Amino acid sequence: MKIAFRHLVQHIKESPSIEHMSNKLFQLGHEHEIDGDIFDMEFTPNRGDCLSINGLLRDLAVFYTVDLNQEIYNEKLNELELDFENLSENTCPNISFLKLEIDHLPETYKNSLDNYFTDLGLSKNNFFTDVSNYLSYETGQPTHCYDARTISGKLLFHEIERDEEFETLLNKKITLTGKNSVFSLNDNIINLAGVVGGKSTSCSSNTKTVIVECAFFQPEAIIGKSVKYDIQSEASHKFERGVDPECHDKVLRRFINLVSDHAIIKDMSIVSYKSKENPIHQIPVNVKKINQIIGFNISEKQYINYLSKLGFVVEEGLIKVPSFRSDIKTQNDLAEEAARAIGYDNIAISKINIPNNERTNHKAIENKLRFFLLDNGFYEVINSPFVSLSSEGAIKVDNPLDSNREYLRTNITNSLVENLLFNERRQKDSIKLFEISDVYSSSNGINKKRKLSVIASGRVGENYKDFSKKINKQYLAVLFQKILPNEAFDVKILSRELLDTKIKNEIVSLEVDINSFSADTLSYTEVSQSPERFAQYSPISDLPSSIKDISYSIKDYSKTQQLQDLLLNYQSDIIKNIYIFDYFENEKQEEIKIGFRFTFQSKKVTLNSAEIELVYNDIVDKSLNINGISIPGL
Amino acid sequence: MPDHKDITPPELTKDRGSLHPINHMKDFIMELLTSFGFEIIDGPEIETEEFNFDMLNIKKSHPARQMHDTFYVENKSNLLRTHTSPVQIRGMLEKKPPLAFISGGKVYRKDDDATHLPMFHQVEGIYVNENVNFAQLKDLIYKIIYSLFGDDVELRFRPSYFPFTEPSAEVDILSKEGKWLEILGCGLVNPIVLENCNIDSKKYSGLAFGLGIERIAMLKHGVIDIREFYKSNLDFLSQFK
Repeated sequence: MKIAFRHLVQHIKESPSIEHMSNKLFQLGHEHEIDGDIFDMEFTPNRGDCLSINGLLRDLAVFYTVDLNQEIYNEKLNELELDFENLSENTCPNISFLKLEIDHLPETYKNSLDNYFTDLGLSKNNFFTDVSNYLSYETGQPTHCYDARTISGKLLFHEIERDEEFETLLNKKITLTGKNSVFSLNDNIINLAGVVGGKSTSCSSNTKTVIVECAFFQPEAIIGKSVKYDIQSEASHKFERGVDPECHDKVLRRFINLVSDHAIIKDMSIVSYKSKENPIHQIPVNVKKINQIIGFNISEKQYINYLSKLGFVVEEGLIKVPSFRSDIKTQNDLAEEAARAIGYDNIAISKINIPNNERTNHKAIENKLRFFLLDNGFYEVINSPFVSLSSEGAIKVDNPLDSNREYLRTNITNSLVENLLFNERRQKDSIKLFEISDVYSSSNGINKKRKLSVIASGRVGENYKDFSKKINKQYLAVLFQKILPNEAFDVKILSRELLDTKIKNEIVSLEVDINSFSADTLSYTEVSQSPERFAQYSPISDLPSSIKDISYSIKDYSKTQQLQDLLLNYQSDIIKNIYIFDYFENEKQEEIKIGFRFTFQSKKVTLNSAEIELVYNDIVDKSLNINGISIPGL
Repeated sequence: MPDHKDITPPELTKDRGSLHPINHMKDFIMELLTSFGFEIIDGPEIETEEFNFDMLNIKKSHPARQMHDTFYVENKSNLLRTHTSPVQIRGMLEKKPPLAFISGGKVYRKDDDATHLPMFHQVEGIYVNENVNFAQLKDLIYKIIYSLFGDDVELRFRPSYFPFTEPSAEVDILSKEGKWLEILGCGLVNPIVLENCNIDSKKYSGLAFGLGIERIAMLKHGVIDIREFYKSNLDFLSQFK
């Protein structure tokens, strides 16, 4: 919600700066951003009472001297004769209607009404709707304006539970479904209560007689409606969070005052319906309890002073909660009020000593498996459980994000296949992945299994010993035999037939239930440890990469290390990876053959051959400067 | 010519894989919290409305319970937990105070955009004992934040709202660029929640806190786009060895 700084500060005697007020708003828990002189407020859902100038000033009064100085019409009003019946008093226990007739429509606005539109850069609608919108901004209470000429016959507030067409005053046609609270006129729906009025009874630029509805709707009846019907509604935002059930008379009298600033009122009358009294909630003064909760030592005098400034009335040892603070019910709620006034950051810390629990080796088995796989070149991945296709026992999501995410997966392997293909498309030729996750299925209730799934394809590793070895079924079986020698593993070869790929490497996978192992059977001492530091991420490139291999012949063996030092540490913005893919010592010919693989990739552009050649040639030139080294065939 | 025996083959750079950075961050935080005295407990990702909402004082009318915020399954008989708090409820029903639990894992909300994912990770903790207060909660939060971001980080506590804590707070840290960044939510356990778990709220009070793992991992690793964590791109994962 956008609130202009000057609309607040004009009511504050101390005239604080915008920065000072911003700090105080944060202290009170009112998150916001500042755009020029406008606060873009984000209120917590329990503070519907703050969704207005007056609401925010009520909170700021704990720090500043606030004078609202808003005139209201104080004279006696005639009783409005309206054929109205409330058939759902539980949903709407309080409702008032005000009828006004004015002599002419103002061409310009004055004072706070004008400032509202000018300062917030808002578009005007029609006079009565504009007054209603401003009043909601000032007081927090939404009102709805009907063109009185259209209100003839029986007006009903009731709940319907049938499909019904409805055209909003924003010319949007919607179909009401399920249970809805509505106003009907002669059996036609004219207002989706608390959300949006209907087109048939809305005010226009020539409306001179208006019926203003001012109501309290239970939040439960309004919640979710604006999202359901895709309607942007400030009114529903306020009703969902709760408005002041006791403010109607004051708000409508303020409405009269604002109108009378702009036109002569020829006639006015009011009627109110109240099905039940709102009892004043009272909580005993218990400053000892407040100090226990906060861990502070506030005096009773200071505590009561804070509460009084926030609108609470303290009498005879009881705190009377104001009608606009429906969120305050307990001593803990009051402790938060006191803590906000003190400032959370001003509450000194008190040392905490949590009795030590016996430390258990939580998830010992799966951690051992994780580090074993890490030591063997596998990368841990995490996948979303949502999948498009059902499988045996798959749990269906009632309200999926889309049809591709309608079910929960019953295995992890399919996710890993997707991951593998994703990396193959990025020219990765050695892919080893694993994931550990709970997997759920439904059969006589919800079943949970903790599973490890492993997938691998391509080269065994990116080093000269593993470069020519291809991952196969045996590779994975032997690997797991190392850690679980007494177990038989069902390693699978996955068919590429239905996969969108031309790569032929065998895909092997294994999916096991972790709970089938015991920590005693895992014979492995992990080499890897969790990284001690948090690596700084360097953005990756999705641009194509190119591979270049260079094979050297070394006659002067002493230069082998020099060549490695040069090439493995070679720096270039377009080289992503360098490793030795081949190493062979030919004793007969007294020669070492060593091959280096370079992966070229830019983060900015797709590389052309000239750009790659430039760096490649530099590598060749620098390496051939080392005596006793040659590149056969060059 | 050189003596062949002097030749050492190149060092065999055995490829090591990496932990997923989210799991690494989760493990780091869980390890830190266990060193403070917390016990790790686990619970299911598929939960009932009772444990995910009712027991935590999240009323039927709360927006989080709407179909547009929570994933329901099996004809609304269950749901995908929206936070790890129900694990703590289960823990409190099983054990008597004093108790100090943490739970971490996947949680689900019906969001999917550049800054929100339908699946993300949380670590939450709860400590219930006699005379637990807000000033002690602040001590614990300072310890957590300093362990994560260093002793020189500036932080602030802001009043906030969670149905299961009262008073409630959100904690921000000041970034190097001078911007406040929200790090965690916390508060004193709402006495209603304690009573729901058969804990005498007149005798005991509690503190609770929750951290979003992705948020902290993004800050610590300098990852800008949350979606990078879940593409399973080896170029991404290999940076976290």
